[in-house]
Amino acid sequence: MTRSAWREEPADRFALTPDRALAYVAPEGAFALYNDFAARDSVLATGLAPVPPAEVVAAWRDQGGERRPHRLVPPDTVEGYGTFTFPYGPISMGVPESGRFDVVTYGERVLELTPIGGYKARRTLPSLAGRPLADAALRIERLAGNVAAAHVAAFLAAAESAQGTGVPTRELWTRALAQELQRIYNHVHVLGRIAEAASQNVGSAETHALAEQILRLQGHVFGHRWLFGALLPGGPPRRLDLDGRRALAAALAPRSKEFEELWELFLDSRTFVDRIQGTCPVARELAVRWGAVGPTLRACGVPWDDRLRVPVVPYTDLFLALPHERDGDALARVLVRVQEVRSSFLLLEQLLDRWPADGGAPEEAAPPVAPGRGLGRVEAPSGDLVYDVRARDGRIEAVAARTPSDANWPLFSFGMRDAVFTDFHFAFESFGLVFAETDR
Amino acid sequence: MDAWGAALTVAVATFFGAAAVAAIRPKLGYALSAAGAVLLLAVAVEALVGGPVRGAAWSGPLGDPESLVLDGLSGFFALAAAVVWIATAVYSLTYDARRSPLLAVCFSLTLGSIALLVASSSFLLFLIGWETMTVASYGMILQALGRRGRVFSAAFVFLVFGEASTLFVILAVAGLRVGNGTFAEVPFASAGDLSALVFVASLLGFALKMGVAPFHMSEWLPIAHSSAPSNASAVLSSTLTLAGAYGLFRVLSLLGPPPLWWGAVTLGIGAASVLLGALFAAVSEHTKGLPAYSTIENNGLILVALGVALLARAEGLTDLCVFALFAAFYQALAHAVAKTVLFLAAGWTEHVTGTFDLTSVGGRVKRGDRAAFAGTLAATLSLAAAPPLAGFVSEWMILESLFQSYQFVPAWVQFLGLVSGAAVALGAGLIVIAMVKFLGFTLLWNPSAAGAARRSPGLAVPIGAVGAVVLGLGIGAPWVLRFLTPSVAAFSGFPVTAPVGGLLSVPNGWSILSGSPFGILSPPMVPILLAIGAGVGAAYYLLGRRGAPAARVTPVWMAGSPPGRDGEVYTSFGYSTGLRIMMSTVLGTREIRSGAGPVSEAGLATPEPYSVDLEVLDIFKLFYDDLVRGGEALATALKARVMTGDLGRYLAYILVVVLATVIYVAAAFG
Repeated sequence: MTRSAWREEPADRFALTPDRALAYVAPEGAFALYNDFAARDSVLATGLAPVPPAEVVAAWRDQGGERRPHRLVPPDTVEGYGTFTFPYGPISMGVPESGRFDVVTYGERVLELTPIGGYKARRTLPSLAGRPLADAALRIERLAGNVAAAHVAAFLAAAESAQGTGVPTRELWTRALAQELQRIYNHVHVLGRIAEAASQNVGSAETHALAEQILRLQGHVFGHRWLFGALLPGGPPRRLDLDGRRALAAALAPRSKEFEELWELFLDSRTFVDRIQGTCPVARELAVRWGAVGPTLRACGVPWDDRLRVPVVPYTDLFLALPHERDGDALARVLVRVQEVRSSFLLLEQLLDRWPADGGAPEEAAPPVAPGRGLGRVEAPSGDLVYDVRARDGRIEAVAARTPSDANWPLFSFGMRDAVFTDFHFAFESFGLVFAETDR
Repeated sequence: MDAWGAALTVAVATFFGAAAVAAIRPKLGYALSAAGAVLLLAVAVEALVGGPVRGAAWSGPLGDPESLVLDGLSGFFALAAAVVWIATAVYSLTYDARRSPLLAVCFSLTLGSIALLVASSSFLLFLIGWETMTVASYGMILQALGRRGRVFSAAFVFLVFGEASTLFVILAVAGLRVGNGTFAEVPFASAGDLSALVFVASLLGFALKMGVAPFHMSEWLPIAHSSAPSNASAVLSSTLTLAGAYGLFRVLSLLGPPPLWWGAVTLGIGAASVLLGALFAAVSEHTKGLPAYSTIENNGLILVALGVALLARAEGLTDLCVFALFAAFYQALAHAVAKTVLFLAAGWTEHVTGTFDLTSVGGRVKRGDRAAFAGTLAATLSLAAAPPLAGFVSEWMILESLFQSYQFVPAWVQFLGLVSGAAVALGAGLIVIAMVKFLGFTLLWNPSAAGAARRSPGLAVPIGAVGAVVLGLGIGAPWVLRFLTPSVAAFSGFPVTAPVGGLLSVPNGWSILSGSPFGILSPPMVPILLAIGAGVGAAYYLLGRRGAPAARVTPVWMAGSPPGRDGEVYTSFGYSTGLRIMMSTVLGTREIRSGAGPVSEAGLATPEPYSVDLEVLDIFKLFYDDLVRGGEALATALKARVMTGDLGRYLAYILVVVLATVIYVAAAFG
């Protein structure tokens, strides 16, 4: 697909007008941001009721207050002979995260799965009010460490849009470079976690080794393994001069080859493929109605990607594939991620090859949606990430965000219905969900 | 008639006397029944030790001599039944406080009729006892406290199966009468087709009573569906089915050398029952339905052992035949006592928690009554065939006899032995699930939610006492087997020796030998070795002055959630759902959803409760339901076409019959 193709589509099909955006990225924390408005309209035309209105959503999201544990999906009340709630968590993810899953079951089969977050709610976003931009960005990137680059990029874009600040072209290219590196890391990491759950010991070890190499590469280029501070003024020194770029390109080429070999290995393993094929399927219709994003959405046959649909520099000037699958199951999500890793390697190649010269006029920021209020939107590894920032005189007034996890939790919960206990890890990992993104 | 004979007569009469007394004083009725059972137990022991006991004799209505006799065979069944009855009658003194005297009357009447049919020396008396037993048991089931409609339908099902059984038994008795010219229980004089008819009719008739596949409906439905009283359930499940086994054993003992197919059919029915009974027991959620299904499994095991014995007899393998017979008798004894405990325990947990629903019983029984706890533990483990208990010995013996089916000659019989062995082994595995479930969700469950312990020694002591019998039958198996030798001899018709001996350093007579020798088991050595092991451990700590091992008590780890909140504990239903899903073809598992469904699918703005239920059904019940529907349709059609209520039409029928009679008489005598 050429880039002009999507540009010539009817203007309102995907357009994120201020009123549309604000309706779905409200500070009280709405979760559904419709990507494909035309598709949503066609689903609604089938006579199905719309997703719960904003006040209902706010009601269940706010159950128990912001800090206390609260459910991340709409409530359902299933009953039946012999059913009981099987609580798993809050210590469910090992060290990194805290979150609980309440599984309603009559044994073996999942009737209803309710993820419960808020155990480590840090009130990061409310704490940003009144802080200078750079200080706020330092906190934002610590929201969810493994997707720091995407969060910071979206936050900075929103803040720049709110204040009308221009950004040097090269800085935008650097943000894209960091995001693509981190996308590769995250997708490879997801693959590794699934391999771990499927007891693919060799595959899992190799995959985690590859992910570690990407982390080291990030550390080498940006001075921090998780890219903390890397996209901010005054951050660690970057190794992105000509030599540094050449070295990075030279280091990436074998990683790309390694990844391909690794994926061949996984495809050869019937147990691995069997375990994720048909697991936790998400129906296209549900994905569209409930506003799924990222690989979850693309795996159900909806080819939406912010990098193509709402492109910013440098994505406007690069070739970018838009992989998507049809089946909506864990395998489809993995396949999308695998193709995205390839696509990201290709993007990195293009970025390093066509690195812009220093100087020149700064790129203009997107127009604010309201005076002093801007939206920043990037395609994070797990999907569409939106920041809504109100800023004045270099200080933050309020920040709201709709993270990919916000949008995808309900789909995970729906997909797990009728699955068995042992499907849990495969299903969960394939969505790339992070409690930290909702415990903000 | 000597003193023992008089005692036998008195014992049988006591039950009927108890039934009469119970109409006015139910408790006195139960006490009398218990006394009668004690007397019967003594007579039965004498019959096994000192030879047949002959009681009252008189001339029957058709001129046949009638008498009460306990020989080795009937002595065994009287013995097993008496143990059950003593415990059940004592238990009933406390249990039956709230119910009508009719239950006590029917209870004693059932006991008396079973005693009568076991002790009868003629098939006419046997039939009288058999039919009284069916009607009296029907009366017991009617006393259930469940919903009236359910109770009536369940009791009716019992009666239908009971009467069908009586029909076949009458047919078998008629066959015996034709062949022998007398109702007396003497070896069958005829052979060939007539003995085949007697075999088939008695197998059908007695299998209907034993509740084995495909007639298992008659076992679980009356007990579980109507929630029949627990003392009645114990008598129904432990001794009514035992009466069926007695009938089958008695008839077979008279029929002479069996052809190969008799054993094959018996073995096949038995193996199918083991598998079905165990599977259904494992997925049952009723504290009495589960033991009732387990009865199907155990009666299946009796038939398996009997089948192997018949096959071995037909093949001329006398040793195997004798061993399998011992296995069959031991299985009958082990099951009768252990199953009694389970039903009494179900009544006890109902007494404490007010429910028969296993899913709701969980965690509500305080361990107040130690005797009941220990007794239930012994009985469930015995039914799960755990050493050193009675069920373990009989299960081992049955599997040992099946292992020796390689000796059978035609390949298809060998194959049948192979398949049956696999079925029995699978059933043994499944029944472990069922028993762990019963024990775990009634007693072992963390009783944090239970209220104050409610002690009832009147219920607990009989449970504990029978539990002790279960343990004794396990450890003392070699001696019990020797004691049962007259019973096996009475059945086989030739002198036998008990399959006990010694091997290695185990003293002679302490071990059970299958074959010569094929396999060996020494039940008394199991507790001895366990005691030695425990002693070594104790000595290690005591002599080493280490003191008792340090114990640390912590709450159950629930991944960081507070443990055991309401509705957050595993249910017994959940425990066996895996089996429901895996065996969905046999169990006909289906998920039934009702209500609007989940928010995402229903498109609702606010959630509405909806329900999901996983149902299993007995596929055989579908067949019987169809049968009933067909019968009803036929009756309706007949009523519409033939019995219209039109007087003219009825007169026409009479005219036709009269004319036909006249023509027949004219033709015959004209």
